[in-house]
Amino acid sequence: MESLPVLLGLAVLAPLASFFVILLLGPSLGHGGKSAAYVAIGAIVLAGLLSFISLGIWLANHWPEAPHDDHHAAASEHAGDAHEGESQNAKSAHDSHASEGVAGDSHAASHHGSTPPKVSGEYYVLAKIGDLQLSISYYIDSLTIAMFCMVTLIASCIHVYATGYMHDELHDITDHEAHTADGEHVHRPGRFHRFFQYLSLFCFSMLGLVLAGNVLMVFVFWELVGICSYFLIGFYIERKSATNAANKAFIVNRVGDFGMIIGLMAIWSSLGTFAFDELFEAVRPGPSHVLQTPDGMVYASAQDRVRDIARELGPDATPDQLETAIQERATTENWRNVGPDGKAPGYGYWLLIVAGVGIFCGCVGKSAQFPLHVWLPDAMEGPTPVSALVHSATMVAAGVYLAARFYPFFAPEVLFVIAIVGAITLFMAATIAITATDIKRVLAYSTISQLGYMMLAIGMGGWLAGVMHLVTHAFFKSLLFLCSGSVIHAVHTNEMPEMGGLIKKMPWTAYTMLIGCLAIAGAGIPFVIGLSGYYSKDAILEQGHLFMTTNPGWGAVFFWAAAGGAAITAFYMFRMWYMTFLGKPRNHHRYDHAHESPWSMVAPLVILAVFAVGVAWPIPFSSLRLSTLLEQARPAGGLNDMQGVLVNMVWPNEHDSHAASHVIPATLIAFGTALSGILLATMFYVWQPHLAGEVRQQFSPIHRFLVNKWWFDELYDWIFVKPTHVVSGVAARFDRNWIDWIVDGSAKVTRRFAYGWEWLADRVVVDGFVNVFAGWMYSLGLATRRVQRGNLREYVLFILVGALVLFVVISIFRVTYAGGS
Amino acid sequence: MNLTEYVNNVYHNTVDVSMPAFGPELVICATIVLMLAVRLFNWGRRVDVSYLAFAGAIVGFVLALYGPAERTEIFTGMLVYDKFTLFMRAFLLLFLILFVVLTKLSGIPDREDGPDIYSLVFGATLGMCLMSSANHLFMVFVAVEMASVPSYALAGLLKGRRQSSEAALKYAIYGAGAAGVMLYGISLVAGLLNTAHMPTIALELARRYAEFSSSQLMVLALASLMILVGLAFKLSAVPFHFWCPDVFEGAAAEVNAFLSVASKAAALALLLRVILGVGAVPPGVADEPVAVQTAPRQHLADGALYVMAQDPAVAAETSGRGREEAVAQLTPVRNYMGWLVAFVAAITCTFGNLAAYGQTNIKRLLAYSTIAHAGYMMMAAPPILTLVGLDSSRAHDAAAALALYIAIYLFMNLGAFAIVAFLRNSLRSEEIADYAGLVHRAPWVVICFSIILFSLVGLPPLAGFLGKFAVFAALADGYVVASQAGVSASHLLWLLVIGGVNTAISLFYYVRVVKVMTIDPEPESRTPFSVGVFPVAYVVLLTIPLVVLIFSWNFLNEWTLQAAAQLF
Repeated sequence: MESLPVLLGLAVLAPLASFFVILLLGPSLGHGGKSAAYVAIGAIVLAGLLSFISLGIWLANHWPEAPHDDHHAAASEHAGDAHEGESQNAKSAHDSHASEGVAGDSHAASHHGSTPPKVSGEYYVLAKIGDLQLSISYYIDSLTIAMFCMVTLIASCIHVYATGYMHDELHDITDHEAHTADGEHVHRPGRFHRFFQYLSLFCFSMLGLVLAGNVLMVFVFWELVGICSYFLIGFYIERKSATNAANKAFIVNRVGDFGMIIGLMAIWSSLGTFAFDELFEAVRPGPSHVLQTPDGMVYASAQDRVRDIARELGPDATPDQLETAIQERATTENWRNVGPDGKAPGYGYWLLIVAGVGIFCGCVGKSAQFPLHVWLPDAMEGPTPVSALVHSATMVAAGVYLAARFYPFFAPEVLFVIAIVGAITLFMAATIAITATDIKRVLAYSTISQLGYMMLAIGMGGWLAGVMHLVTHAFFKSLLFLCSGSVIHAVHTNEMPEMGGLIKKMPWTAYTMLIGCLAIAGAGIPFVIGLSGYYSKDAILEQGHLFMTTNPGWGAVFFWAAAGGAAITAFYMFRMWYMTFLGKPRNHHRYDHAHESPWSMVAPLVILAVFAVGVAWPIPFSSLRLSTLLEQARPAGGLNDMQGVLVNMVWPNEHDSHAASHVIPATLIAFGTALSGILLATMFYVWQPHLAGEVRQQFSPIHRFLVNKWWFDELYDWIFVKPTHVVSGVAARFDRNWIDWIVDGSAKVTRRFAYGWEWLADRVVVDGFVNVFAGWMYSLGLATRRVQRGNLREYVLFILVGALVLFVVISIFRVTYAGGS
Repeated sequence: MNLTEYVNNVYHNTVDVSMPAFGPELVICATIVLMLAVRLFNWGRRVDVSYLAFAGAIVGFVLALYGPAERTEIFTGMLVYDKFTLFMRAFLLLFLILFVVLTKLSGIPDREDGPDIYSLVFGATLGMCLMSSANHLFMVFVAVEMASVPSYALAGLLKGRRQSSEAALKYAIYGAGAAGVMLYGISLVAGLLNTAHMPTIALELARRYAEFSSSQLMVLALASLMILVGLAFKLSAVPFHFWCPDVFEGAAAEVNAFLSVASKAAALALLLRVILGVGAVPPGVADEPVAVQTAPRQHLADGALYVMAQDPAVAAETSGRGREEAVAQLTPVRNYMGWLVAFVAAITCTFGNLAAYGQTNIKRLLAYSTIAHAGYMMMAAPPILTLVGLDSSRAHDAAAALALYIAIYLFMNLGAFAIVAFLRNSLRSEEIADYAGLVHRAPWVVICFSIILFSLVGLPPLAGFLGKFAVFAALADGYVVASQAGVSASHLLWLLVIGGVNTAISLFYYVRVVKVMTIDPEPESRTPFSVGVFPVAYVVLLTIPLVVLIFSWNFLNEWTLQAAAQLF
């Protein structure tokens, strides 16, 4: 276990090394820059190997326990078996069950009192200010390792894929979508190595983000992946649309980051640490790990009372005395639970919410959640491998990852916000995807929608469901993107109305993409087996069902949003597949030129398809599977029921969702929605193709609403962009008419004065002096040269002359200054 | 002392005491023999001798890192072995390694000449190692010659070129003249004091100074000046620098790197050895009151050159009062040498910087720059001499400043000449005017060259600043301490002023080169070329220390302080 930080640290650094190698040597690497790809692939494959070795080491030390499907029946057994596998945390295994709020029912789960197995520590301390410390640290648990394996595996596939996809960039390129000022197509040299340079930097940042052991580091890597995303979206920098999209992504993300910075400030100023360990311990102190407002936040927000105490004690009190007094008073007056107005919430609770929502704001930006989702569809301007890696599988999932990592810190109210945002996002994006015709945009909205699912799951307390969906989604969504890239590579357009019938031309692509569609729809035989999406999506719906039973009002909204979203998902995915691969070719010119992609692009498709099918499968005859592995990382106290303080709702224990009363309806509903979605799509696009057009006309207002993406872009344009332009116009006019006048005037005066002064002081006095001096020096230098005439006889003579002169001179000096030798 | 006893004594001294400390030199010798064998049996076509040379240099360097911690005199007092020797030897062998790599990269010499050239280089390096550990005036002479004679041949390395042969001839004849003068000085000293063993000379001077007549004193002064002429020739100090620009222009840039770094460093080490050997008493040599010491003369009377630190009468450790007394009595000797070195340093530095102004050939320009830097480095010597009798820890600081300057100087000048060599290979020219607009063709090389040139000026934050600052600080320190002690040390103040002014005026000609390379337009007739990855990497590696040293140079400082601690 001690080797994990080293192995994973190396896995992080390998792509960074690749980045620097390509940065410095890029174009001069062999084969017209093609070797840059080999360098990058070598680095990411190395990182992948290290990640899987780490996984092996982890499993050797922490073999996952079998899941307890029949939760209620096995309750008593739970208390007994008490985590034999988790030797590191034996201390807390027997701690008594402690649940918060009303719903503390009888099941005494041993999980409640334990901390998950992990390895955390510091690589390097950056700064130490008193007790405050900033460091480069790591936090490794099974979630970290699963993320490492997932990211490196997918990134390796995509690197290989990109060598095929980007091969045009090896030569000079005429970009037909970019125009110079005089209307010509832009002609530019290829940027093959540049692409892999950015990919390497991105992999470094992404892995660093996952490994980070404190929030500040997360933030740093957060920004690094952001800038990589910016570079990669704007990869075709000559295209106006690409640069606009890159700017949009960057600016929209800054909005989210602003909230995140507020959250960071709330944490730092009240708790004085960024380390995950310490934060979680402060919020959920052992052994019960029940969420409570940390002391730091309580005292920070009860400042007026603290001041009173200080006044009572007088100026002579030592800091220790003051602290004891505050602690006493805080306990007797119960500051934590009773606020300034004598009611709940107590002091500091709002600060906890602000911190949580602030951090979540960052996640909203990065994971393209409502209302900051607008950047992701535009980000499809980047090359398709980028869309597959950055904008579906990894970077945008980082928001979900952070929400999952920070889960123990979130108060119920924050979870409520997360759930609402997730529900809105998933439903809205799914509806927009129905009408999109650009194949990549369909996938982009699908990504937004699926990210919404994950957020919703986490917001409903379904930590494992959300995280599992994060992993399975990464595989099938990157697969789908790569397939779409393969199609685009073949027909040179993104528009699905231009495609059709391609299954004959590119069978590999078609069938792997079908697997992806089935996986995202959650296809499977109910209660028996299914593709990866079947497991994770059903888990989300189960948690939704459980949530609905404990909180009928909002729970129903969330559950039906998720279920409806599932149906729509199945519909639009199959609409996409049918439009692309089945039917008659709609554009014969493009169809005739289409061909299956080279092996370097097909092989990654097959690998990813295998994972999209089986990543969540149980390994036969063992307790190892994705869910049990991730279960190990469940935050301490993550299974406590939580009662909201400001909202009257209860967040139920996720294990309860495995009860048959939730599993059966949820699975059936999931199956039904997926099936109906697929059938509907088949009806519209295979059996009765004319129906689609009719329905479109029938519901034309809705159609327009969806085609225009709920008018979000127009809305933001109207609310933010236009007013900004107006204000900046006014400011610019003020600047030109008034400020410039003043500045110009003073500049004119200054210049007049300067001319006069320059003539007097500089040219006459300084220059005169300097020139004379320099002239002297120069002629002296030339004169000294003249001594050197190249005559050897003179030189030898000079030895004697020199020695004698030196003797005479030194004697004179000695006599003059030091009074004889 | 009968013959058997004497032979036994010599045997014991050689095998048990001297040889173990002499390892790196022996490795050099063995490498030379091996390389000559390669030449002799005509294996040259099969064996690339540069790898052999590289291996020899590495082994020597590794051996040079270890050694006894005590100051010991070896080979019956001919050489002295202490931390300073350790430092200088490690420095020289490190340079040798880098030099072999440089020649391998720049392609001079070719395979045919390899064994000859490397043998000469190794032979010269051996001589320089001896220079840095010489403890006896005869050894001083032998070491200087041993370092010089191979250098004469090296200057003629480019066999076909007339300029090169002329340079070699000038160098050889000039060197012979200087050596003659030096030998005359040595014989005068030995004749007057009956010994050539430097610590003994110091003791003798301390004991008999008061008895000398004024004519004897004058002869001594003249003799020491003549010895200095020999050293000044190696240092290319004005007015004994005439060989330097001609030789540098004629010889290959790689040889210039060797001459300007290794040779200069060894000469400075030797300068320290001589002025401190004669002007101070090393620890452990004379801890008896001076008046009691009669032993050296008796040994000389026996006809032996054999004046032993091991002799119980000399080495007996008693109160330490004797040494202090001797050091105090040597004050006028140190004063005289301090003035002499200060004067030569001042004119060397000024002349070198002024003469560099009008140069059009980069090697000639760097030759004058080398002369000027020799002047800067010599400036560290007078404050050491002043401080020895006043405050020995500050004197150690001053000596450490010199060592620091030498260490930094290695990277600057080796880098500069390496760039000149690589550019010669690419451009077939060494004229500054032909470097115009080079930044477009070889940006990395130009960036490195500019950094090196600015470092040579001594601009912060580059490493050249550290060296210059250390030396100037030593000068200021010496002046302040001397004034507090009521001793006149106006020459230190003058040196400080002259050094400062020189730094300012040197800016011009260095920056001119940078300007030509970066601002001047590129000639259209230039054919495309590439310097190659490895040469660029080599140059970059040499430049990096100049940039990063400012962040953490304490380790170097401690190392040089250690080296200086056993000097006196």
